[in-house]
Amino acid sequence: MNSKVNPFTVEVIRNALTAIAEEMSLVVMRSARSPLLREAGDLSSALTDAAGNLIAQGRDIPAHLGIMGYTVQEFLHRVPAERLSPGDVWFLNLPELGGNHLPDVKAVRPVFAEGVLQAFAVSLAHWADIGGAQPGSYVPHARDAWQEGLRIPPLRLFTAAGPDREKLDLILANVRGALEREGDILAQMASTRSADERLAEVFKRYGAATVQAAIMDLHDQSESEMRTALRSLPQGLYTGEDWLDDDGAGDGEPIAVRVGIEIGDGEATFDFSLTADAARGPLNATPFTTAASVFYAVKAIAGPDIQPNAGCARPLKIITRPGSLLNPPLDRPVVGGNHETSQRIVDAIFRALEPVVAKRLTAGGSTTSGLLLFSGHDPRSGRWTTLYEVHGGGEGARHDRDGMPAVRPHMSNVMNTPAEVIEANYPILIERQALRRGSGGAGRHRGGDGQVRVYRVVGPEVALTTMVERCRIPPFGLCGGAPGETFCITLERASGKTLKLPGKTSVQLEQGDRIVLESSGGGGFGTATAQPA
Amino acid sequence: MNRSWKVGIDIGGTFTDVIAINAVDGAVRTAKVQSRSSDPAASIGSAYQAVGIDWADVSDLIHGTTMATNAIVEDRLAPVALIATEGFRDTLEIGRQNRRELYRLDVAPKLPPLVPAERRLEVTERIDAEGRVLTPLTDAEIERVTKATEKLGVPAVAVTLQQCFTNTEHETRLGQRLEAAVPYVALSHRMSPEPREFERSNTTVLNAALMPLTASYLDKLEKTAGSSTNLHLYHSAGGMASVEAVKDRPLALALSGPAAGVAAAGRIAEELGLAQAIGFDMGGTTTDTCVILDGKAQVDGNQRLAERPVRQLMVAVESIGAGGGSIARIQGRAIRVGPDSAGADPGPACYGHGGEQPTVSDANLVLGYLNSGYLLGKTIRLDPQLALAATKKLADAFGVSAQEAALGIYQVANANMARALRRVAVERGVDARACTLIAFGGAGPMHAVALAREFGITHVVVPKFSSVFSALGCLTAELSYAEQHAVHMSSTAWQADELENLRREMHQRLALLLTAAGHAGDSLLAQHIALIRYAGQSDTVEVPFIPPANRDSLGAGFKTRHERLYGFVTDEPWELETLRLTLSAPAGNDIKIPTARAVPTSTPNDDSIACWFDTNSPIPTARHDRAGLTTEKKIEGPAIIEDQWSTIVVPPGARAWSDTTGHLHIDAGTFT
Repeated sequence: MNSKVNPFTVEVIRNALTAIAEEMSLVVMRSARSPLLREAGDLSSALTDAAGNLIAQGRDIPAHLGIMGYTVQEFLHRVPAERLSPGDVWFLNLPELGGNHLPDVKAVRPVFAEGVLQAFAVSLAHWADIGGAQPGSYVPHARDAWQEGLRIPPLRLFTAAGPDREKLDLILANVRGALEREGDILAQMASTRSADERLAEVFKRYGAATVQAAIMDLHDQSESEMRTALRSLPQGLYTGEDWLDDDGAGDGEPIAVRVGIEIGDGEATFDFSLTADAARGPLNATPFTTAASVFYAVKAIAGPDIQPNAGCARPLKIITRPGSLLNPPLDRPVVGGNHETSQRIVDAIFRALEPVVAKRLTAGGSTTSGLLLFSGHDPRSGRWTTLYEVHGGGEGARHDRDGMPAVRPHMSNVMNTPAEVIEANYPILIERQALRRGSGGAGRHRGGDGQVRVYRVVGPEVALTTMVERCRIPPFGLCGGAPGETFCITLERASGKTLKLPGKTSVQLEQGDRIVLESSGGGGFGTATAQPA
Repeated sequence: MNRSWKVGIDIGGTFTDVIAINAVDGAVRTAKVQSRSSDPAASIGSAYQAVGIDWADVSDLIHGTTMATNAIVEDRLAPVALIATEGFRDTLEIGRQNRRELYRLDVAPKLPPLVPAERRLEVTERIDAEGRVLTPLTDAEIERVTKATEKLGVPAVAVTLQQCFTNTEHETRLGQRLEAAVPYVALSHRMSPEPREFERSNTTVLNAALMPLTASYLDKLEKTAGSSTNLHLYHSAGGMASVEAVKDRPLALALSGPAAGVAAAGRIAEELGLAQAIGFDMGGTTTDTCVILDGKAQVDGNQRLAERPVRQLMVAVESIGAGGGSIARIQGRAIRVGPDSAGADPGPACYGHGGEQPTVSDANLVLGYLNSGYLLGKTIRLDPQLALAATKKLADAFGVSAQEAALGIYQVANANMARALRRVAVERGVDARACTLIAFGGAGPMHAVALAREFGITHVVVPKFSSVFSALGCLTAELSYAEQHAVHMSSTAWQADELENLRREMHQRLALLLTAAGHAGDSLLAQHIALIRYAGQSDTVEVPFIPPANRDSLGAGFKTRHERLYGFVTDEPWELETLRLTLSAPAGNDIKIPTARAVPTSTPNDDSIACWFDTNSPIPTARHDRAGLTTEKKIEGPAIIEDQWSTIVVPPGARAWSDTTGHLHIDAGTFT
């Protein structure tokens, strides 16, 4: 048999591998315990080859998907392949080991066939708490990495013989909501086990040599498609920048994310060297998060149909400066960088390419998680509960249509929690959920509207943490379109006092207090003058 | 022979299937005719004609229809007003805020809301999660919002109030007043008495929007059928429902046809004693798969229809865009099959109606599986030269032979369907290898054995009447209704009495529908399912029980099933989330699938052709007429078995035989 596999067999194997990754996410979502996973779907699944090159992924969260190949590659630097055995499931969350932030814990399972390590199954899940200074493990004023929670180097929590109870207990002793966390761990384990079983079937059916040849071919296909996609962009040098509002812990000044893009013949370099220095607060992003953002942007702009795998990365060169916001020293906090700074990287790339491919872009959207983290005791159940709620806003307009209201743009796609589910599980009443009319930027096409949600505290003591961007720097308009309205969070005390909350803060709420959240609108596209009534 | 026929009819998008059985002499007649989408009564009339009966001959008509589905998919819905709790009228537009496509900026991230902002009203009232009234609904407010609704001049209104399922008083009172002002009213607590306002609201709006259309459809049908025909509709949860019940809840028709198909598969599974089976219905553009356990098609209360969430009990059918018409195309250096379909027009290249891209049907023709000699639906003759030419273009791009490309298309189509099959099996916690594959639909029997081998499934059944299977499902239906209700009861705060009271209420409500149809209350069969999960989990596990519910046995049943589904159990407390009840009346005349076998009147003109099963060379393959098969005659693959409407492929290494009822069994053999 020649080394080249019949293209139809490659497609059959591609289908089988993608199905396995999709099934993994299904298993986590169905069996996990925390609402963040089961309701909001803050999780992702992927398969890599034995060297950690991404093979297939589920339809999950771009911010997660872009890093999981690196997770395995960095994992292998710490844990050489000789130490791995069938039935192992290793857990880790260190940002420097192909990570993004501590709450996103990865379960990595080596998969063997014909007595040889063939692949890895990776299940990433956002734990609603990973310990640290505050419930929910978001510390807006954090000055160092340890305040953000438990740091897990590669740890073999399961072997073929079963769980390693002592290690499991060490982890559970250091996070809030041990019961819920244990459920999440078991769900992640179950998901990698289902992948292990399915992959065994695929390797048996086609033989390892054929499957590996097909995987190489899939990588080559994606590389070739990516090069074709890059050739659709005019060659040249482009620069773009966008700004974070602030880092929560520093001097409160906006922080620049800058990119220089060089589009060559079927290849591209993204150089972030001119981006600001590492932040004191938790808005730093790892180089892996940076790479995930670049992949997302390139795919969205030039090749949405490209099968995502390691082949896509070959024509891309990504440069981050050590010591900068996007390649911070190891002791810096990173929790918000994952979903705030990553979005700003995409924004900077879009702005850089505006002069040449504006019609392929959307104007600036509500590129923030809009995160409100409520925690407290529910007097009904007596249990400690944390509500991790993200808020979509207006989508940026395009050259051919208005932006949509109340959606999650770009790097994230986590859902909201229904008001009725919140009220049944937390000491909170939702008084209103509505569109924030008129908040989208004007233009030939209007930006989408943000949303308004009003939370009233009905229990005795609830802590609130915010991790929100676009409170000061609004989502940008494109080609003359107006920017969207900024994000706005207002605290109305039961006493009648009203104050505007910063985007990144912690505050204690009393019974009867209200939080009024107004998410940002999307930017408009084109100048508004020609717009018919 | 007046009024001696009982008839099952399924009106699909392209064909109307009919099966009729004579109560006096047991005669069975089947036919397939072209659907007339604009006039369902005419479709039924021509189906009657095809089996040689008249409206006046029919005692019972059970009808499956895609009317509701098509109206939703094609967006032919009545304009609806929505009334929501003050502060919540935009819920329908906000949705769950996630986007459909991760990487496509050209596609709008969400569907537009079913009701535009100008028809979404708010009413001042509020109930909390415990059912306490925070803001009362005043009569003045009811009047105000009723007037505002009237002013919109719409035929139907949907009402979705926050937390209404914990206390139904507000919705009920508002609904009573609205009924005097608007022709059609749908209340959300009746549609889906469970939390999640966006999903419940969508469900209620869809129902309201279908009410006017369905009522006029059914009025017309009742008039044509006459009062002495018992008319029933086949509903999505698997069973038949009265015309009145469907008028109130037309969304129940959403999966009418597919539900009838899998119900028939369930009957066959029961008859053959198959504990686990998967129904596999492959048509021209879509493939539906469904898990059948102990003869029961599995149902689910949380599905989607045309990308919209629907919260009502429906058979858990996984539908994917793969069928005979799926187009094979080149993407970059790779090959893709579907989801684009050549549809009925132009159809596959081999139809000769101008299709130029190769489809799965073209591949089947090139491989020799499909018979170019016979007429599909008596009108379409398949042209192998056109199929070959279309396939060759694709083959040349990859530098392979046309046959190799055809075989590749066949395998990729199977891989696509395998993904759908895998999903239903995973969601039901079933090991596909232990299942029997029950194949039906136009293209199902052609792909069944190859698909079975993908999973290590060894037993395939192509049932008798497989080409009119949904009609058969209608014919053998029981009158049944199902509903479920949110409970939220922890094992640590068990309220046995409260649970039993709720169960009784549900039972009484459903029993009313059945006793109204003349069934004695004590003859009704009840199936109880408790939906249980660990505190904090999202999905529940179905645990059947016999009332009154016993906590310890429910807990044990839950853990057994949880272990099977997820591979672990813990000693944590669990919650009874939802109670589901299905109440059915035993079929009056107890229709069984007819067993009378036609005796072949002449020697079947079996012949032999060349079929491709691998890329080396074609193999001489015997072609059999299905009608000529007997229990004694075991057919070794390679073989092709044909009946008027479908082609069964028996590849090398497989073996087929007919049982005494006429079901065809295939031992899939091992993969070669």
